[in-house]
Amino acid sequence: MSEAMVEVHAVHKSYNGIEVLRGVDLTVARGEVTCLIGPSGSGKSTLLRCINHLEKHDAGELRVDGDLVGYEMRGGKLHERNDKQICAERARIGMVFQRFNLFQHLTVLENITIGQIKVKGVSPEAAKSKARELLARVGLENKESQYPSQISGGQQQRVAIARALAMEPKLMLFDEPTSALDPELVGEVLDVMKDLARSGMTMVVVTHEMNFAKEVANTVYFLDAGVIEESGDPREVLTAPKSERLRSFLSKVL
Amino acid sequence: MTMNGDAVKVVPVRHYGRWVAAGFALLIVAMLIHTLFSKLPTGHFACQVVNGVRKCHPDLTWRFSWTIVGQYFTTSEILHGLVRTLELTIFAMVVGIVLGMTLAIMRLSPNRVLSTAAWTYTWFFRGTPVLVQLLVWYNIAILYPVLSIGIPFTPSSWALVHITTTTLFSAFAAAVIAFGLNEAAYMSEIARAGLIAVDEGQVEAAISLGMTRRQSLRYVVLPQAMRVIVPPTGNEVISMLKTTSLAGFVGVVELLGAASNIYGGNYEIMPLLIVASLWYLIVTTILSIGQFYLERHFAKGALRSPPPTPTQRLRRDVRGILRKFRTQRGPLEAVR
Repeated sequence: MSEAMVEVHAVHKSYNGIEVLRGVDLTVARGEVTCLIGPSGSGKSTLLRCINHLEKHDAGELRVDGDLVGYEMRGGKLHERNDKQICAERARIGMVFQRFNLFQHLTVLENITIGQIKVKGVSPEAAKSKARELLARVGLENKESQYPSQISGGQQQRVAIARALAMEPKLMLFDEPTSALDPELVGEVLDVMKDLARSGMTMVVVTHEMNFAKEVANTVYFLDAGVIEESGDPREVLTAPKSERLRSFLSKVL
Repeated sequence: MTMNGDAVKVVPVRHYGRWVAAGFALLIVAMLIHTLFSKLPTGHFACQVVNGVRKCHPDLTWRFSWTIVGQYFTTSEILHGLVRTLELTIFAMVVGIVLGMTLAIMRLSPNRVLSTAAWTYTWFFRGTPVLVQLLVWYNIAILYPVLSIGIPFTPSSWALVHITTTTLFSAFAAAVIAFGLNEAAYMSEIARAGLIAVDEGQVEAAISLGMTRRQSLRYVVLPQAMRVIVPPTGNEVISMLKTTSLAGFVGVVELLGAASNIYGGNYEIMPLLIVASLWYLIVTTILSIGQFYLERHFAKGALRSPPPTPTQRLRRDVRGILRKFRTQRGPLEAVR
């Protein structure tokens, strides 16, 4: 078994002839928090979605927990995996979206139980007790019978985190989890994420929250125009940037 | 509002134009009710002798023949026709909804053959009149006298099962197939609109939990699409209820067919058309009520609070009027 949770090597991805990722290399060690920062359109979200195989990468190698994402090596050829195998891989990778994407027709509790019941085959009773446990962990034990439209954005995002954790993921991906929130609601979501980081969860976070990156991340990667421009310890990278691009980016966001 | 410590009366805006329009609408309603229950002279005279004087006045009868309507309203022929109409509606809608859903999912498939096939189906069945389709299905035995089950593109003598088409295609079956297949074309468009209306992020969230495409469709997309699909589908059911009256063309004795059979014998055309219309109205009313509650059910989570049921709304209105009444009476009571 490999030491790293995520290994990305020379990954390329284009949409309609436009190259969004132009040879990205990145490593995420087990139990570490990695932040991806960069201007919009730099490919951060695309990279995250490739790790989860929500998007197929065009070239390069992408491994999660030592296994190739979406492909299988057999007889010296890469075979695309079938839907069932890909789904099984995805079930162990939690994803939190910018727009929360809670299931609108289900209550908070049902949002957290449905994946356990339908994908993992957990009994409804066990799924419910696990969901209640997770709701308590994100501080929302009294909201279980509400519908997503009835709670605030910050609460929705905490439910979304609980929904992902219910699948007992080995890796959590966060795609700008606080970008769609009112400023006063950002803190409550970041607190849940910090707590998760302390518990030893491997996390890849696309974010604009530089203070979060400085405080929580073990490594930060700065993406610009589809390549990693700079990476390293956040306290060094964010306080003493070497490249001109990162300097100008930081001067705009900080 | 207070001025110098005294309550100042608020005078609401008077909507004179609206009042005139409402008055006019009331007038038309009154005229309609009046004409519905007006009477016509029969041509006969009723005479009686009062105090040795013989007085005659023309005999009158309902313009809309309510007595005859009442006589035929619940005859077994009409009721049998009604049951046929309901059977046709239900079977055709089941075919239409199941096939329509399938077509909608095919239409959205990344596979071009499937999506083109679904598009072509809709193009054909929406593009020809349903009455023509009904007549074609009824006469399908002209094209295919015998139906066989066997291997495609092999001689029919190889087939294992042979069925004479006319035994399979009764007038009723032809009507169910014709209406059902035609409905599927419309339902597929309705279902497609519903499926498209569900946010892409919902599917992404579902598959990132490890659900397959099929599971995300079943547990996440369809339940939410239903909110968009149900209202127009209710419309389609009501529309189908009335379309089934075309089945009379191929000899199915449904509601209108039963009515026309009766008036063919006794020439009471108008009363029997009224009987049929009243039954259509009754069923439509029941369907509309069902539709309301179905819509309410599928709106779960989409609205912060569900729309009130008619009884809730009535209760709220009455409470509102009572409160208004009480506040208006308030100062008076104080004077007393």
